[in-house]
Amino acid sequence: MCRPDPWGGTFAIDHMMRFFSLSVWLPGLLASAALFVLMVMTFADVVLRSVFNAPIEVAADLTRLLMAVMVFSVMPVLSGRNAHVSVDLLDAPFARFRLSRWRDAAVCLFCGAILFLPAQRVFDLAERSRSYGDVMEYLRLPLHVVGWFIAAMTLVTAVVLVVRGVLLIVAPRLAGSAP
Amino acid sequence: ADTTLRVSTWLPPTHGINTEIFAGLIGMIEEASGGQVSGELVFGLAPPPAQMDLIQDGAADIAIIFHGYQPGRFIGTKLIELPGFEGNAEAASVAYWRVHEAHLAKLDEHRGVKLISLNTHGPGQIHTSKDVASLADLNGLKTRIGGGVAGDVGAALGLVGINVPAPKVYETLESGAADAVAMNVGERVGFKLNEVAKNLYDMPGGFYRGSFAIIMSQETFDSLPADVQAALDEKVFGEPASRMAGAAWDKSDMIGYEATKSAEGTKIVDASAEDQAKFAAIAAEVTAKVLAELEGAGVDAQAAYEMVKAEMAAN
Amino acid sequence: MTASLIGFAAVLFLILVRVPIAFAMGFVGMVGFMAESNFRASISMVARLIIDTSQDYGLSVVPLFILMGLFVNKGGISRELYAASNAFLGHLRGGLAMATIVACGGFAAISGSSLATAATMAKVAMPEMRRFGYSDELSTASIAAGGTLGILIPPSVILVIYGLLTETSIGKLFVAGIVPGMLGILLYLCAVRWTVWRTPEAGPAGPRVPLRGRLAALREVWAVVLLFFLVIGGLYGLFDIPPLNLNFSPTEAAGMGAMGAFLIALARRRLSLKDTLEVLLETSITAASLFAVLIGAWIFSNFVNVAGLPAALSDLITAYDLRPWQVMAVILVIYIALGCVFESLSMLLLTVPIFFPLVTSLGYDPIWFGIIVVVVTEISLITPPVGLNVFVLKGVVGDVTTGTIFRGVTPFWVVDIVRLALLLAVPALALYLPAQM
Ligand code: NA
Ligand code: NA
Repeated sequence: MCRPDPWGGTFAIDHMMRFFSLSVWLPGLLASAALFVLMVMTFADVVLRSVFNAPIEVAADLTRLLMAVMVFSVMPVLSGRNAHVSVDLLDAPFARFRLSRWRDAAVCLFCGAILFLPAQRVFDLAERSRSYGDVMEYLRLPLHVVGWFIAAMTLVTAVVLVVRGVLLIVAPRLAGSAP
Repeated sequence: ADTTLRVSTWLPPTHGINTEIFAGLIGMIEEASGGQVSGELVFGLAPPPAQMDLIQDGAADIAIIFHGYQPGRFIGTKLIELPGFEGNAEAASVAYWRVHEAHLAKLDEHRGVKLISLNTHGPGQIHTSKDVASLADLNGLKTRIGGGVAGDVGAALGLVGINVPAPKVYETLESGAADAVAMNVGERVGFKLNEVAKNLYDMPGGFYRGSFAIIMSQETFDSLPADVQAALDEKVFGEPASRMAGAAWDKSDMIGYEATKSAEGTKIVDASAEDQAKFAAIAAEVTAKVLAELEGAGVDAQAAYEMVKAEMAAN
Repeated sequence: MTASLIGFAAVLFLILVRVPIAFAMGFVGMVGFMAESNFRASISMVARLIIDTSQDYGLSVVPLFILMGLFVNKGGISRELYAASNAFLGHLRGGLAMATIVACGGFAAISGSSLATAATMAKVAMPEMRRFGYSDELSTASIAAGGTLGILIPPSVILVIYGLLTETSIGKLFVAGIVPGMLGILLYLCAVRWTVWRTPEAGPAGPRVPLRGRLAALREVWAVVLLFFLVIGGLYGLFDIPPLNLNFSPTEAAGMGAMGAFLIALARRRLSLKDTLEVLLETSITAASLFAVLIGAWIFSNFVNVAGLPAALSDLITAYDLRPWQVMAVILVIYIALGCVFESLSMLLLTVPIFFPLVTSLGYDPIWFGIIVVVVTEISLITPPVGLNVFVLKGVVGDVTTGTIFRGVTPFWVVDIVRLALLLAVPALALYLPAQM
């Protein structure tokens, strides 16, 4: 089955994350702010367009920017919390043979490891985009800035996953798992 | 064929770019290479602005890019987008390749890939859901219009820009969130504008033109046998492919006009002489602005502009 | 074809050893694409999808609809919905379970997700049904089944993604979901009646609420009605009258809905700053996990695409000379089989890019196929062994076995199949309303 979190679950911060509460809340706050602005801007755009025939010209560019900020701010938090959508159909057999922790560690290390190359390539693509001078159409914001942000957060996500994997092996309590 | 080139396309299978331009290009490549090289279409690998990256990194061998989708990257390509050139897409595309050779190539804006065709779609016109009788009626219409030259023209006409992706055009017009869209007439068929934008306001020569390039992976090209390379460079790439693509755009425009005339409740309004004069003044302003931009980039802008006019008149 | 099948098997394996679905699909897609082209191309393709997916304008609908549902929930609307349905139905035998179905339908009208609908209603309806001595089978099953309505009755995240994948009008898809959604409520009510007819003690009648109480309870649900009317009415073009001229694209409808829900919750003084931040953060995390799945699925579908699976499938149909209805039957069987294991969004993302061109080339309507896909996905949510809604319910309720829930769900599953058959036989059930737009 798939984890119901974060659809309906409560908001328990897991053990590992208590250590890094600031590193959770700062990106969390950034994502929340981006989402709130997105909501208010979309509302304002509709009202301004319908009533005053004056839509916000940068609305679409801003929407793209805010979404990237929202999604990639919380990507490390999501990964560190192990809140990705996954299927735990075979959890019982793994638990019976006391393999759950090793399996989780392996999965975390695997997921972290496969992210490094793409993260680096996102950075390369951002640099390429910088060399061509790409900008957002109305906002005129250089696209490589968004690229840098996405690259950095993908890298942080990879590191968080690897750290979680290592903790699961050497210090399972810190990773919020019973040995 | 010994080599099958992977042709990346971001357009739906029935679009003229696939059925005419890419099909035509593949045919030309097969013929020039004596059947050694062919191509197959791969759909939806990446969104339009990512196509050049796909080619540079070898995920596909050939792709088409729309310069307007990458604001900031291309300045020289704005020349051909200017309003006021008279002639069809074929004439414009041939002139485009020639002026590129003479003036624009030195900007090296397509660096990292091999440029194999430059072309423009037919004249960009304005399609509205409301009745429009004159240029003045366009003022205040919420319009989906591209950036760059098209955006400048739209601003001068008093259009209110609505920024939505092309596939959302039907929905945006249907819901009334937009009143109009700027496109070449051929697109009326694919975007079903005869249902949601029954009025076509038609300016001779168009309000702008959209600029495309077909690009190829340099690495792939270098890996082909030398005689094939030479044959392709001579018989396909450059002017021949540009001419073929331009002619394909003209054909799609013709189909678009026919479909509009035969559809129920549609209306084509030809710009009056008075409106044409009024628009010429706007066109001159936009032209001056863009030429200054080109000049700043290091192009002999006035000479390049004159060259396009002369080439198109001669064609 | 072989490469694609190996790919599917590899994804399945990784998912079963609990690799997150996004990473399983992304990894297999990356390796497969590498095999079809080269290393550099594959990594670049992945990187481009990471960059572009999060900046896709159309996808902004997703977080905004999730946000609307969560704000509405904070506003206490789920409780009021249940109270209102209960006031009208509670005195009948099985009435509380019927009220649960109707309240789920109402909550579905403002929530884009089935899991959220099931989880929310479980917290409200389960204690009530227990208090009146309802059997665990009937009470949990009515919530699990009722919850599936979340993705058919608009708004619906699944329909949004289908619309984006296939370039089909999201507004029309939403409107097309209304009648099949209503039909679903009706049939689920029949399933409840059937259950209490077989075992009367499963759902004893509750006390009758006098007319005045009923009207009072009804007054409390105005916010739901208002929000649904705002979102769907705006998409439908109901407010396109001067001087208002209000018209929404799906993104705007979602933004208006979220803002509306925010203002309602605020006006009811049910939203502290802390609550607001919690809702925003939870939405961001949920959306980010969906985006991760989207990126992974896109990588995988690029691999399947260059490996030539779609073309191979149409060749297969030609070779065996299959009739359109036979192809449709095969597709439905595949969906129900995949639904045993896959979560709804991944299932959609994996299959629609492959089946859609096939189905439309056979002359089926894209809007209708969207509704069919969603109905089959709904069925998968309550089909053993992996019924996502059933597990969500188990997560919220705790002290029932999944076996109990699956037993109770059987009649609901049967009427779902009936509904699917009706939609196959009478496409107008889905297509009549959008045709009027
Ligand atoms: Na819904
Ligand atoms: Na299932």
